[in-house]
Amino acid sequence: MSILLDRSTRVLVQGITGRIGRAQAKWMLEYGTRIVAGVTPGKGGERVEGVPVFDSVVDAVRETGAEASVFFVPARSVKDTVFETLEAGIRLIVVVTEHVPVHDTMEMRAEARRLGAVLLGPTTPGILTVGEAKMGIIPGNLFPKVGGPVGVISRSGTLAYEVGGILAKAALPPSTVVGMGADPVVLTDLADLLRLFAADPQTKLVTIVGEVGGLQEEMAAESIAAGYPKPVIAYIAGRHTPEGKRMGHAGAIVQRGMGSVASKVAALEKAGVAIARIPAEIGFLAHTLLG
Amino acid sequence: MRLHEFEAARLFQAAGIPVPPFAVIRSADEVPDAIARVGLPAVIKAQVLVGSRGKHGGVAFAETPEELGAKVRGLLGSSVRGLPVESLMIAKRISIARELYLGATIDPAAGAITVLLGTAGGVEVEATAKDRPGALFRRSVCPPAELRGHQARALAREAGLRGELMVRVADALTGLYRVFRRTDGLIAEINPLVVSPEEAVWAVDAVLDVDDAALYRHPELPADPIARLEHPLERAGKKIGVSYVELDGDIAIISSGAGLGMATMDVVGQRLRPANFLETGGGITEELMYKVTDLVLQKPGLRGLLINLYGGINPIHEGAKGIVRALTEKQVAIPVVAKALGNRQEETWATLAEAGVIIVTDITTEAAADALCAALGAKDKDTVTRET
Repeated sequence: MSILLDRSTRVLVQGITGRIGRAQAKWMLEYGTRIVAGVTPGKGGERVEGVPVFDSVVDAVRETGAEASVFFVPARSVKDTVFETLEAGIRLIVVVTEHVPVHDTMEMRAEARRLGAVLLGPTTPGILTVGEAKMGIIPGNLFPKVGGPVGVISRSGTLAYEVGGILAKAALPPSTVVGMGADPVVLTDLADLLRLFAADPQTKLVTIVGEVGGLQEEMAAESIAAGYPKPVIAYIAGRHTPEGKRMGHAGAIVQRGMGSVASKVAALEKAGVAIARIPAEIGFLAHTLLG
Repeated sequence: MRLHEFEAARLFQAAGIPVPPFAVIRSADEVPDAIARVGLPAVIKAQVLVGSRGKHGGVAFAETPEELGAKVRGLLGSSVRGLPVESLMIAKRISIARELYLGATIDPAAGAITVLLGTAGGVEVEATAKDRPGALFRRSVCPPAELRGHQARALAREAGLRGELMVRVADALTGLYRVFRRTDGLIAEINPLVVSPEEAVWAVDAVLDVDDAALYRHPELPADPIARLEHPLERAGKKIGVSYVELDGDIAIISSGAGLGMATMDVVGQRLRPANFLETGGGITEELMYKVTDLVLQKPGLRGLLINLYGGINPIHEGAKGIVRALTEKQVAIPVVAKALGNRQEETWATLAEAGVIIVTDITTEAAADALCAALGAKDKDTVTRET
């Protein structure tokens, strides 16, 4: 078991004919991902790595039964493409793209919530279910052949790789690694992803990899405090990061003093979460908690 | 990107928000023209991209043409909080009966826009928010929904405003929201919104911060986000497409990804002092890594360089060639440690090792910091030996 993605999931790659889409489609196939289709408007009928390319998501879904989609499309097309993909009935979307305007993200988020879809990103490395499949850019060679008991949810991309690798080295490899996206507004909340791991029988412990800024960790702490069935570890990056330039009064008022490493750690500790001060401590904490 | 007050004021004005007549000048010769357009008494405001200008000598008042001329000459060419004053906004001075606060920003928790109306305006609005939360009224709007006129009026009524004033404030708030949405705003503020003795409202300040990622669709906005950064190396970083933040230590850091960069600083910061934060994002090429390595090495007094990369979307084997080229050209003598893992890691290691870079293959950034400490220890010992 795992969350969101396994080797049977029928995956669509949007922007598959681009330089990055093509390279990443190859890595995903090699990892075992069941890629059934690609979409690039205007390139319908082509093949990339043997995968048929369609002009539209509706065509791809009708012809191949695609049920999840990963995006390698330019930032300025992301919003339009997300609405197309949701309209075609797909309910799991991974937006790898960086530099998506935040006003676009807010509109996509509202639509995803209305439909109950899981959208990861923007600026996410995607999702990797160890030994099964991956959507996005997480390198597969950092992980063992078979998944383990630890769910990983990370705001950062590359830091997710490091933490996944640390857990693998500690002989407690991840079940699924999920990048939720590094932007201030994300499409699916940390608390929602925690609920998915709560329901997964393979996952015995969850590791949160957070970072300074935003309020995702504080919101998740509230939901953990209200009752969470599995032990949770958190590392919040940014203890030695100088305070960012002030974002004006309005931002400070809205955040009400939250968003710092100290506020996140305090909220999570209060909710009973074990805190790692540096990533390397996660392996030790995982052993202690699952011991 | 933060807009200058006069740039934001023009956008506010175009959205129907009342802004006192103003002129922007770059030399004292333009004073007579400005007086003709604005009138007296006038307020003179330095156009620098920092807050609290009033507290730092960036705002002055003038009753007569002579006074205005003298103060303009005093301000132009001076500096406010370290920033040079190159232009001034001369605006008509408004009589104040009362000050309100209007704001719009993004609430990251809700993924929505929060509009704010404060009944105790003025520069201390943040303190007000903490000490007198009852004086601040807010509403959340989830785009693509708009802030409707009746919603803004309901908020103004909630804040205790009545009659024509209530309508005027609500109109200013919907105007502010429109600017915020149309420009892809991150922060928009009017602080204060002055209520005159005749109950007219005037935006006597204008703050607007917009999303750099959306500038491509805003030809109406200034197109120089890079020129607005203060620090020269931060500007250089933005120019090549990476985030660089100068810190006060002596260990240069290059990382791929902001989270990894922050974690690297957490780990290095336990024993050493980071000289900078630099993250490449997902656009690594040979050329980019050449420029990035060159950039971090420009800081004087460095003792070491730690490179922390993952090859997910990034072709790190290409990046390695750029790093080596920069190290060779600059004849770098400080220890350089690299941890580079992921796709095509073996090629990456071989390229870097050939140039004398210390390679760490362990997954933890701790191991890289250990290797750097060890190299620094060895180097310090060498120095000591030579000196004795």
